Amino acid sequence: MTQAAQAVPETATLAAEPSGSRRRRGRTGYLLMLPATLWLLLFFVVPFYSLVATSLFDASGSDFRGYEMTYAWGNYVDVVEAYWQPFLRSLWYAALATGICLVLGYVLAYAIAFKAGRWKWLLLVLVIAPFFTSFLVRTLSWQLILSDEGFVVDALQFLRVLGPDDRLLATPVAVVAGLAYNFLPFMVLPLFASLDKIDPRLVEASSDLYAHPFVGFWKVTWPLSLPGVVSGTLLTFIPAAGDYINAEFLGSTNQRVIGNVIQGQFIDANNSPVAAALSVLLMVLIVAMVLVYVRRAGTEELL
Amino acid sequence: MPPSADTAATGAPAPAAPDAGPGGSDGGLRLSSLTKRYANGFTAVHDLDLDVPRGSFIALLGPSGCGKTTTLRMVAGLEVPTSGRITLAGQDITDRRAHQRPVNTVFQNYALFPHLDIYENVAFGLRRRKVRDVESKVRAMLELVELDSQARKRPAQLSGGQQQRVALARALINEPEVLLLDEPLGALDLKLRRSMQIEIKRIQVEVGLTFMHVTHDQEEAMTMADTVAVMNGGVIEQLGAPAELYENPRSTFVANFLGQSNLIEGRVLSRSADVTTLDMHGITVSVPTARTHTDGDRGWIGIRPEKVLIGEEGADLDAPGNTVPGGVVSDVSFVGVSTQYLVRMPWGQELQVFSQNTGRTRMFTVGEKVELSWRPEYAFCLDINQDAAAGVDDGETR
Amino acid sequence: MAPEDQAPARRSTLSRRGLLRGGGAVAAAGLSVAALKLPFFSVAGAAQDPATCRATDLSERERRLVISNWTGYIDPRRNPRGTYNTFQDTTGITVEYNDDVNDNAEFYAKVRNQLGSCEPIDRDMIVLTDWMAARMIGLGWIQPLERERVPRLHENLIDSLRGKAWDPDRTYSAPWQSGLTGIAYNAAYVDEVGSFSELLTRSDLKGRITLLTEMRDTMGFMLKVVGAEPEDFTEDEWYDAIDALNRAVSDGQLRQFAGNNYLQQLANGDIVACEAWSGDVIQAQYDNPDIKFVVPEEGLSLWSDNMLVPNLATHQANAEAWIDYYYEPEVAARLAAWVNYICPVEGAREAMEQVDASLVDNPLIFPDEEFLADTWDFMPLDDRQSQQYEGDWSDATVG
Ligand SMILES: Nc1ncnc2c1ncn2[C@@H]1O[C@H](COP(=O)(O)OP(=O)(O)OP(=O)(O)O)[C@@H](O)[C@H]1O
Ligand SMILES: [Mg+2]
Repeated sequence: MTQAAQAVPETATLAAEPSGSRRRRGRTGYLLMLPATLWLLLFFVVPFYSLVATSLFDASGSDFRGYEMTYAWGNYVDVVEAYWQPFLRSLWYAALATGICLVLGYVLAYAIAFKAGRWKWLLLVLVIAPFFTSFLVRTLSWQLILSDEGFVVDALQFLRVLGPDDRLLATPVAVVAGLAYNFLPFMVLPLFASLDKIDPRLVEASSDLYAHPFVGFWKVTWPLSLPGVVSGTLLTFIPAAGDYINAEFLGSTNQRVIGNVIQGQFIDANNSPVAAALSVLLMVLIVAMVLVYVRRAGTEELL
Repeated sequence: MPPSADTAATGAPAPAAPDAGPGGSDGGLRLSSLTKRYANGFTAVHDLDLDVPRGSFIALLGPSGCGKTTTLRMVAGLEVPTSGRITLAGQDITDRRAHQRPVNTVFQNYALFPHLDIYENVAFGLRRRKVRDVESKVRAMLELVELDSQARKRPAQLSGGQQQRVALARALINEPEVLLLDEPLGALDLKLRRSMQIEIKRIQVEVGLTFMHVTHDQEEAMTMADTVAVMNGGVIEQLGAPAELYENPRSTFVANFLGQSNLIEGRVLSRSADVTTLDMHGITVSVPTARTHTDGDRGWIGIRPEKVLIGEEGADLDAPGNTVPGGVVSDVSFVGVSTQYLVRMPWGQELQVFSQNTGRTRMFTVGEKVELSWRPEYAFCLDINQDAAAGVDDGETR
Repeated sequence: MAPEDQAPARRSTLSRRGLLRGGGAVAAAGLSVAALKLPFFSVAGAAQDPATCRATDLSERERRLVISNWTGYIDPRRNPRGTYNTFQDTTGITVEYNDDVNDNAEFYAKVRNQLGSCEPIDRDMIVLTDWMAARMIGLGWIQPLERERVPRLHENLIDSLRGKAWDPDRTYSAPWQSGLTGIAYNAAYVDEVGSFSELLTRSDLKGRITLLTEMRDTMGFMLKVVGAEPEDFTEDEWYDAIDALNRAVSDGQLRQFAGNNYLQQLANGDIVACEAWSGDVIQAQYDNPDIKFVVPEEGLSLWSDNMLVPNLATHQANAEAWIDYYYEPEVAARLAAWVNYICPVEGAREAMEQVDASLVDNPLIFPDEEFLADTWDFMPLDDRQSQQYEGDWSDATVG
C-alpha cells in the first residue's frame, strides 16, 4: 500500500493552506446544503407543523363551522383509546412482512451476489421489474392470484393446508403476503448492495481459519451485510407500517390498518383533527422505533 | 516441456531444513501428481510433485500466472485438485475441507476481517477451535509481531505493513502444520519489504513451523527460503537450495529466471567421468559432467556474466580455464561496484561480462579487442532443445 | 359501432369509486393540511355566499366550457356523431371534459381549500352525488342556475327526482344520471338473495358478501333492516343500525366494504352476493349472465349524480346550455343507451325506440312507477349530524 507515499503531499498541502480557505470550504458546504434544506423546509417542516396544529384543533369543529384552536391534547388520548387496535395491527403486519422480506430477500440477494455469475444484472433487473407497473395494479393482481377460485387456494386445498371452506383473500395472510411482495425489492436492493461488496476472499479466509461454512456465514458474511440488513428492514418496515392499499384490497373489514383509519377520517369522516393526531402519532412512533433499532443494531460502527 | 523438469523436481534431494524433525519428509507436506484444470479447460498446475520437510521454509518462485497461487489454494483446501493427492504429516488430506485442515494462509491481499478489531482478527481461528486461554495467546502473538498497542484498532486504521503483520499473526497463532504465504509482501515498498522478510524469517525460525512462501521476487525467495522451487507453466522446473539453483541451473528457464546467463551453443566432443568436452564455435571448452544436463551431442554452454573474466588480447590469464579469443567490446556500462560489458564474439553473439572494480584490471572501451575466459567448474551445459531465451523477460520484470 | 367502442370505457369499468382513489386521496389530504393556516390559530368555517363569491360570466366571448365528471360516464367522445361532438358542433362551444371525479369525498378534499376560501377551481361544471351536492350547496359553494336558460330541465325531469329536500326546485342542480342501489348475486353459486336481512344472515353467504363504502347507500339498508326509515330516523335508530352493521362485521358475514371491482369479485366467485349499483350490474351482465340484480324487500335506494356550477365559474351560461342540451329526450336516450344508468329525462324512453329498442323495456334504465314506488332517499343531515354519523360510519367500516 502506498499510504506512506500519499501521506506526505497531503500533510504538505494542509500545512501550506491558509486558514481562510478552509473557512471558504465550509461556506461552500452550507451553500451545497441550501437546496436540500429549503426543500425539506418547504415540504416537510411546513406540512408537519400544520399537521401538528391541525391535530390540536377542537375535534368537534367542521368545515362548515371552522376549527377552533383549543390545544386539544386530549385528541391524542382519544385517538389512542379508539384506534389502538389498528395501530398495533399496522405495526404487527409490517413487522411480519419485514421478517418475511428479510428471509426471502436475504436468500435472493445472497444468490444474486455470490451465485448468479453472469446472470447477476439480469436478475437484479427482474427484482425491480415489478416497479415498472403501478403499485395498485400489482396489488389488485394479487386479488386474482389469491382468489378463492384461484390456483393458489386450489393447490393449498388439495394439499390440505387449507380446508375446503378456508380462503386466503380477505385474511391477514393475504395482507401480509401482499405487503411482503410489494416491499421485497426495497429489502433486496440494499441487501444486494451490501453483500456484493463483501470480498469472497474474506469467506475463504474464515474457512481457512477453521470456520465451518455456516459459522463463516454467521461470523463474517452476516455482520458485513448488516448495513444492508438495517437499511433494508427500515426501507421495508416504514412504508409497510403506513401502507393501507394492501389491507384495503387484500384484507377484510377485520384487517383494516391505521392507514385506512387515517384515510377514512380525512376523506370520509372529514375529521381533520383526529386524522392529523393519528398521522403525527404514527410518525412519532415510527421515528422512535427506528431510532431505538438503529441504536441497537449499532450501524454507526459498521465500516 | 523439457523432459528433465519433472525428474528434476522429484529427483532432487530436498535439502535438510535447519531443524527438520526426525520424521523427515514424512512429517511434512507432500504433493503427488497434483493437477488442477479449471472449468474453462485451462490447466494451471500440471502433475506436480513436491516434498516439503517439516519445519522447512520453501519458496515457490515463478513468473505471474505459473500456478503458484493455485498450488497454495489446493493445499489450503480452497480449490479442489482435478487429480493427485495431498498428504500432511502422513495423512491424506486431499478430501478434507478447508476448515478441517491444519493449514493456514496469509493471503495475497491479507483478507483481514474489516468488522473485527485486530485482537478479534487474531483470535478468530482460536475461537473457532474453542481453544482455551485465547487472551494470553493473542497477547503473546501480538507482542511477537509488535502490535500489542494496536489490539483494539480496526484493520483499516493500520498501515500496510501493520496489516501484513496482523495477517501473519492471525495465521501463525493457530500453530498450523503448514503456513502458506501468498506474496504477502507484494504490496509493500522496498524498504518495508526487506524488513518484513527478515521478520518473517525470524518468526519462522522461532516457531519452527513449515512455511510455504509464494513470490515472484527471486531475491526474496533466495534470502528467505531453505529450498526454492522454481515454477513455470504449472510445473516445477527445479527444486533446491538457493545457491545450488543459482550455480547449477538445470534448464535454460532457471538459468535466465534466476540472475542472468550467457548461453552459447556447443557440440559435444567427448564425455568422461569428470568432464564433458565441447566444441564452442571452434574453441574447445570443458564443463564438469556433474553440471552437464543433456545427453545430446549438442548443448547450451552456460556461464554467469560475473564468472567471465575479461582481458587484453593475448594477455596471460590469472587462472587456467576455457579461453575464448576474438571478442570486441560493443557496450560498456559502469555501475560502481562493477563494470558491465557486452562483448561481440566472432560468431556474432554478444556475451555479458560483469567485471568487479577491484582496480587490478583497467577498464576497456568500446571497439577494443579483448579475450574472455572462465573457469571450467563454473560452466554448465543445458539441453539444446530448450529455448535459450526462456525466462529472460520474466526474470527481468521483477 | 366499431367493436372497440362497444366494450369498456363505461363508467362501471372503474365503478363509482375509482381505482386511484387511494393515491389521490393521500395527496389531497397532504395538500389540504399544508394549506391550513400556519400559526397555531383557529381556522374559519368554509361556508361562502354564492351571491358575492361569483365571477363575471364570459360565456359570450369565450365559447368554452370546463367539466369534471366521473370516469366513463359519457358516450365515446371520439365519435363525431356522439352527443359530445354534436353539442360542440351545434353550439360552437368547445368543451374541455375531464373525467377526474373518482369519489365524492375525495373530490371534496381536492377542492375544499379553494372553494372554502372563495378561490376558483377552474371548472364550470362538476358532477357529484346527491349528498355531496347537498353539502356543497349548504356550504354556499354552488351557483344557482338561471331558470330560463334551462327550460328543458324543468320540463323533462322525471317526477321521482323532483322535490328533493336539499334542492326542492332544482335551483342549483340538474341530475346527470340516476341509479339504484340494490342487491346483486351470482346465480352460478347461490340461490336468489331477496332481501338485505337475508344478505346479512344467510349462512351460505358467510364471508362471501360485500357492502358498498357509500354511507348513505349501506346505512339506508341497515336502517331498513332494523325497522327504521332512512328518510326520517332518530339517533337511537341510527345506533341500532350501526350495531347491526358491527355485528355483521364481527360475525365474519361480511368480507369487505367495497367501492370498486366488487363485480369482478362477484363474477369470479370470491363473493357470491353484494350490495350493488344498477348500472354496474347491467355492464357485468353483458359478460356474465349469471349475475343478477334484485330489488330487495327493503326497497331500493334511488340516487343521482348532479351537474353543479361551482362558485367563480366563468362560463355559467355555457354550462347551462350543456344542461339544457342533455335534457332533450333524443340526446338523453343516446347517452342512456351507452352508460346504462337510469335516465332522468322524461320522453327519453320513447326516443330510445330509435336508438336501441332492446333497452326500452329495461326497468333499470327506464323504471316504471311501480318499480320506483319502493325507492327511498336518505334523510338530509345537518352539519353536526353528518360529522357524527360519518365518524360512526368510518369507525364501523375501518376500525
Ligand atoms: N478460477 C480460474 N479459472 C480459470 N483460470 C484460472 C482461475 N484461476 C486462475 N486461473 C489461471 O491459472 C493460472 C495460474 O493462476 P495462479 O493464480 O495460480 O497464478 P500465480 O502463479 O499465483 O500468478 P501471480 O504471481 O500473478 O499471482 C493463470 O493463468 C490464471 O489465469
Ligand atoms: Mg498469485
